[in-house]
Amino acid sequence: MLDIAFKNIFRQRMRTFLTVLGIVIGIAAIIALGSISEGMNVMMQQNLEIIAGRIMVFEGEGSEGLTGLMSGFMTSKITDDHIAILKDVSGVKEVVPLVFYMGGGGTMFSANWQGIGIEPAKLNYFKGEKVYMHDGRELEEGDRGVVVIGKGVSDTYELVLGDYFTILDEDFEIIGIIERSDVQDIDSGVFVPLDDMLDVLNTDTYQLAYVIPEDLTEVELVAEWIEEADDDLYTISSIDIARQTSAIIGQIGIFTIGVGSIAAFVGGLGVMNTMIMAVMERRKEIGVMKAIGATNNAVLKQFLTESVMISFVGGVLGIILGLFGSFLLTLAFGGMMQMVVSPTLALGALIFAIVLGFIGGLYPSRSAAKLDPVDALRYE
Amino acid sequence: MTIQNVIEMRKVEKIYNQGLQSEIKVLKDIDLKIKEGEIVAIMGPSGSGKTTLLDIMGCLMKPTSGEVLIDGREIEKMDDDELAHIRGSKLGFIFQQYNLINTFTALENVEFAIRINGKSKDEARRRAVKLLKLVGLEYRLNNKPGQLSGGEQQRVAVARALANNPKVILGDELTGNLDTKTGEMIINLIKDLNKRKGYTIVIVTHDHYIGKQAERIIKLKDGEIIK
Repeated sequence: MLDIAFKNIFRQRMRTFLTVLGIVIGIAAIIALGSISEGMNVMMQQNLEIIAGRIMVFEGEGSEGLTGLMSGFMTSKITDDHIAILKDVSGVKEVVPLVFYMGGGGTMFSANWQGIGIEPAKLNYFKGEKVYMHDGRELEEGDRGVVVIGKGVSDTYELVLGDYFTILDEDFEIIGIIERSDVQDIDSGVFVPLDDMLDVLNTDTYQLAYVIPEDLTEVELVAEWIEEADDDLYTISSIDIARQTSAIIGQIGIFTIGVGSIAAFVGGLGVMNTMIMAVMERRKEIGVMKAIGATNNAVLKQFLTESVMISFVGGVLGIILGLFGSFLLTLAFGGMMQMVVSPTLALGALIFAIVLGFIGGLYPSRSAAKLDPVDALRYE
Repeated sequence: MTIQNVIEMRKVEKIYNQGLQSEIKVLKDIDLKIKEGEIVAIMGPSGSGKTTLLDIMGCLMKPTSGEVLIDGREIEKMDDDELAHIRGSKLGFIFQQYNLINTFTALENVEFAIRINGKSKDEARRRAVKLLKLVGLEYRLNNKPGQLSGGEQQRVAVARALANNPKVILGDELTGNLDTKTGEMIINLIKDLNKRKGYTIVIVTHDHYIGKQAERIIKLKDGEIIK
């Protein structure tokens, strides 16, 4: 009887169109807004990959997780003495001091480039061993006056090997370009030999040190030992950050999808309204249906099919519009973040649409089914 | 077994608004038998209860008291679904205002009645085409009611009434909206169906010409059979 339901919902084209539109907007909102938190999730996973198994060490009062991370970058001053202490902590394999310099350009969320001072031979501890060079070579022990840049930086500023990159009036020859990476810190990174970076910034302290433990399963334990070794130092492990960011992303997800759901719910009320109207208009027809042998259940099914059909079509079109919306959001974020619509999100939204149609259609369909055949037939 | 009586009523009463001040007794002590293959007209002035009587015969409502047997089956104890099943399988309705679904074609209107009773789309289509041919509308299959004359619409309604090969066709003022000549054509069509296929016909009418076409007239006045 699907063909009949389909025919029936097109009796009032304009009304059906508007009703479908109500669902479309709601579902599109769920998809587009939901893609923000899903995109954040993916971005977090990628960023976690580079810090996985590493302990970030900052100097200062310190606080837990993300707040500690933020304040660490602003105020932390790790000295060579601290580095020496870190190297002595048991279970520590390697210590990588880092100095950051925020470059220019880009959006308010992210700079087009970011200078990172690192001991030349330890670049792999930052970018990971499985990220290769697009062109040129990696930094090597003893390099001075040269830089390796991310592909994003090379594309943005149209830089090739042999060009010079200027940081605070100091020119550095580009000797290597790292392949395209989804990780923002690598793609927009300008990797400078640590001593050069200290000279340029006229400082002798580091904001951050990566500590690589010998046994990756003992990250938390080594972190504890570090904090015991020196009161000035505090640590943030990738696990802390993962825990905190997913909580935040989870809340953003609940909020965004919640807003979309409210819109979709209003769309569901539209379906209900449309079906109530349809039942009123087709009262006599319901009487005829019953006279020619339709059971109450058959009448119920007929109208319920129509309302679910409306919301299903709305759901499908809503997903398409939502995908488009999430694409626009990706553009709006200037490439800093890729919005992601997972199959789970799409399927969940579609099921939600169907449920809305079902619930919205239930009351009108039941009232249609319960109509007294004689009253319905004689209704003028 | 007296299956020959397709409709049988014993001491049937129908009271509206029972127990209220507005209580009204529409049918009083009705006893009647309609034999298989008969053409019966129910006549009487307005308010005499003839439509109510037809509604009860049509299993659209139950009597307040008394027994009603349709093709040998008692309907008073049936639930809504069983009544619907009896309506779908034993009875066919033709209404004064045709009551076709305006957005469906002639073919779809008949098909719908067959499909509602659980037949497949293909089977329904074959049967609907056959029935529309039987009422002489094979050239109008894909026209919607708005494109058909009153007489044609009523013929679609006749085909629909035959959709599930019923025992009894119930007509409620079925020529009331038609001019005399078209009305006669519809009556002739129904008489022909009675003769060729043996359908039992019960028609409510206040038109004496149509009354005369019936083999038997049941006259009602104030809810009682007077003849």
